[in-house]
Amino acid sequence: MKKNRNTWLLGLLGLLLPLTLLAGNVDLATVPKRSTVQLTIYNSEDLTLVRESRVVTFKKGINPLQFSWANTLIDPTSVELKFREPRAGLEVLDTTFPHDRPQTLYWNVQSDASYEAIIEISYFTSGITWAADYLAIANPNETALRLESFVRVKNLSGEDYENAQVRLVVGTINLVEKIAELAKLPAGRLSELKREEYGELRQKAARRMMAPAPALMMSGAMAADAAEKEAPKEIIKEGLSEYFIYTIEGTETVPNGWAKRLRSFEADAVPMTVEYRYRPREYGDQLVRLYLLKNDTTSKLGSTPLPDGVIRVFRTRGHEGLSYLATQNLKYIPIGDKIELNLGTDPVVIFELVKQKVFRDNLWFQIKGGNLYRKLGDDGFKLELDSPVAGWDEHTVYQQKIRNYSDKPIHVQIRREYPGDIVFRSPLKPSLHDFRTVQFETDIDAGEKARLDYEIIARMGYNQKQNRVELQAGAPGR
Amino acid sequence: MNRNRWLYPLSILLLLSSVSLEAIARIKLTTLPVRERVAIQLDHPQIALVEEERIVPLVKGINQVDFSWANTRIDPDTLVLRILAASVEPALNAQVLSVSYPPNENALIWSVAANVSGTARVRISYVLGGLSKNFHYRAVAGRDEATLELAQYLQVHNNANEAYETAGFWAGVGQRFDKPLGLNETKEVQLSRFASVPIRKTYTCDPVASGYLDRAQDKLNVPMHYVIRNAGGALGQEPLPTGKARIFQDDGQGGTAFLGEDRGTFTPPDDELELYLGLARDIAVRRTLDRSERQRIAGNLYRYDVTLKYEIENFKDTPAILDIAESVRQIRDQVHGSADRDPEWQLGDGTLRNPDLEKSDADKLVFHVELPARAADGQAQKQTHTLRLTLNNEW
Repeated sequence: MKKNRNTWLLGLLGLLLPLTLLAGNVDLATVPKRSTVQLTIYNSEDLTLVRESRVVTFKKGINPLQFSWANTLIDPTSVELKFREPRAGLEVLDTTFPHDRPQTLYWNVQSDASYEAIIEISYFTSGITWAADYLAIANPNETALRLESFVRVKNLSGEDYENAQVRLVVGTINLVEKIAELAKLPAGRLSELKREEYGELRQKAARRMMAPAPALMMSGAMAADAAEKEAPKEIIKEGLSEYFIYTIEGTETVPNGWAKRLRSFEADAVPMTVEYRYRPREYGDQLVRLYLLKNDTTSKLGSTPLPDGVIRVFRTRGHEGLSYLATQNLKYIPIGDKIELNLGTDPVVIFELVKQKVFRDNLWFQIKGGNLYRKLGDDGFKLELDSPVAGWDEHTVYQQKIRNYSDKPIHVQIRREYPGDIVFRSPLKPSLHDFRTVQFETDIDAGEKARLDYEIIARMGYNQKQNRVELQAGAPGR
Repeated sequence: MNRNRWLYPLSILLLLSSVSLEAIARIKLTTLPVRERVAIQLDHPQIALVEEERIVPLVKGINQVDFSWANTRIDPDTLVLRILAASVEPALNAQVLSVSYPPNENALIWSVAANVSGTARVRISYVLGGLSKNFHYRAVAGRDEATLELAQYLQVHNNANEAYETAGFWAGVGQRFDKPLGLNETKEVQLSRFASVPIRKTYTCDPVASGYLDRAQDKLNVPMHYVIRNAGGALGQEPLPTGKARIFQDDGQGGTAFLGEDRGTFTPPDDELELYLGLARDIAVRRTLDRSERQRIAGNLYRYDVTLKYEIENFKDTPAILDIAESVRQIRDQVHGSADRDPEWQLGDGTLRNPDLEKSDADKLVFHVELPARAADGQAQKQTHTLRLTLNNEW
């Protein structure tokens, strides 16, 4: 019944008339059905490679075939016909894009005998997309979380794909033109573009990574398989060049306009740690709480890179209730890399920086606007008004106060960036994250406070000789 | 009964046929598993998470469970269906296979596989827009203003276009409670009540923060605050969330008089909540810049000696403590002209020599001054205080 609604938007007609009569108004055609269809969907571009097989009967001689794709988003330059069986004896003589019938092409196929052949038609279409998304639910103690990964396939291509084998490509491929734009051009205009050039480039990019099509599957058997299976489908993950391919077990039917979400993997009790970080460049001017975990096998993950996608983080409270924590865009995470989930600020951890004292010393004067400089306090000299302050050391004593009102000890990491010629003096055992960023850490017990004292000495004006931070151990303040 | 439930914009349908998606053709008539329990988690500052439990009958094989939310602002991407481990029938093992999203509809369809026919308890969680909350406080101070009774209220506003016959609420603080919540309703409940909370009453003059009562006469505003420490007794277990606080006082005749209101800021345990009630007109403070001298050190480098004078009168019949707050940067800008650099200063030998170190920093200075009550004859005793500062290394 569905077939009726959708009467061959995308059709292949075996024409029973000689090609020379195509201009006539009376047509008789047979409609070979799709036997199998495979979708390879890229998430970095609006691009899907469709590979379908159909059984067509050829007679000896020239056989015209018509392929049309009204109201779909197929790139006409990408349509390709291949013969799966028999491999020899059949040959495409020419391809015609008729001027009077848009979104249609004709092939003339030369056959050396009568065959019932399996042909493969492949083409690019836009409008089918996929995206990953994730669900993380932390345990009440926040020592481990359950991570579920999903893939969601959305079909806005104008065509229903039934019982399709679905493969998803994880990675960023380079395309010279967006297929959606190409598809809007009439076929005749496309030849004005440098057809070989873009066709080759794009198809090279996409097709080269495709493994050979799997052995022919009969759609009937596959459909039965899909309907009867009562376990979540497995998604097989394989590396391919710079990319990863996810193959969804069995076949899927995604009607036009629908989206479908399937579980890619799940991992229970993934160990994690909680860390508080102050890194203004990454997280803004606030102390944020993070869940840290790793995409590796010891963490019960690591079977696949994590594709870009939205992750939603919850925490279990008592009675199996959840607390909503955060939604974040997860960037592609290679196998073995760390996963950082930013939960935002924690209202029960108070983070305050207090400027406690400021003083200046090592003052230098420029004598009468010349190249001579004198330091204050040298030999009791008295400088005139036209000798201005040219250099000084600005000492600023800070206290970083952190109050932990949560019921657990916390670990806090702080990074602060100091441009200029800087001495960072403290007993905090800091390290340099880079030439101008100081990093230090502390642990604070539940209900406790930390006071971290440090002094920044900024060499200003004439005194500035460097552009870097120097770490000095010592007590802050004069 | 079932017809009524159709009126709810949010519904869950169990499609009894276990057939493929195309065959569903969005047929809506099936059994309607009712909500067994609803929990509304309001612990996130902005977001309301609704969790509903329903008992869903499943047949052996694959079941299509249709969830739709016409006219409500459910974030569909946050929908989580969990089949609870404590299922009604222990032998039943059910799993979500996939989720399908039909076009142009606020709905989704879960494919759930069951190994036997039976009923499963499921929990559906989602973020719901239009459901918001706020806190507010009502405090009644005693006659002597030594303690107050503090009540904390939660208001839940339902503009989510969905009614809940009864739902368990949790706002992140206080007790969980069960209440019905109708369409477009606001529900207010008292979350906590704290008895005999000690009050510290403070008077502050701060030319930068609270300004002058009369600039020409150099008279400062003296705002009065109630300071409550979130500690001791029932307090101090949880933070006090942001919310408006209305303060009343026992009028001694069985009623209360309104003293004022302020927006209370988020107060973690052990921290202080300061509520500004109004100006204290019975404490008069005149602040003058008494002396400002400049000394050239070398070149264009100067040192300033500055003295500020405060003449204070307490016309109240009770003693009080006045907090005098100053911004050294503001004083420097006044005597020297504004500059980007922080002031470098030293306290001199005025009467104000011991700032409150917890409340003072490189710029701000806070001093506490004890003010005696006015004399028996009604005369207020005038106190004079001086603040001497040396501002070094200015140019």
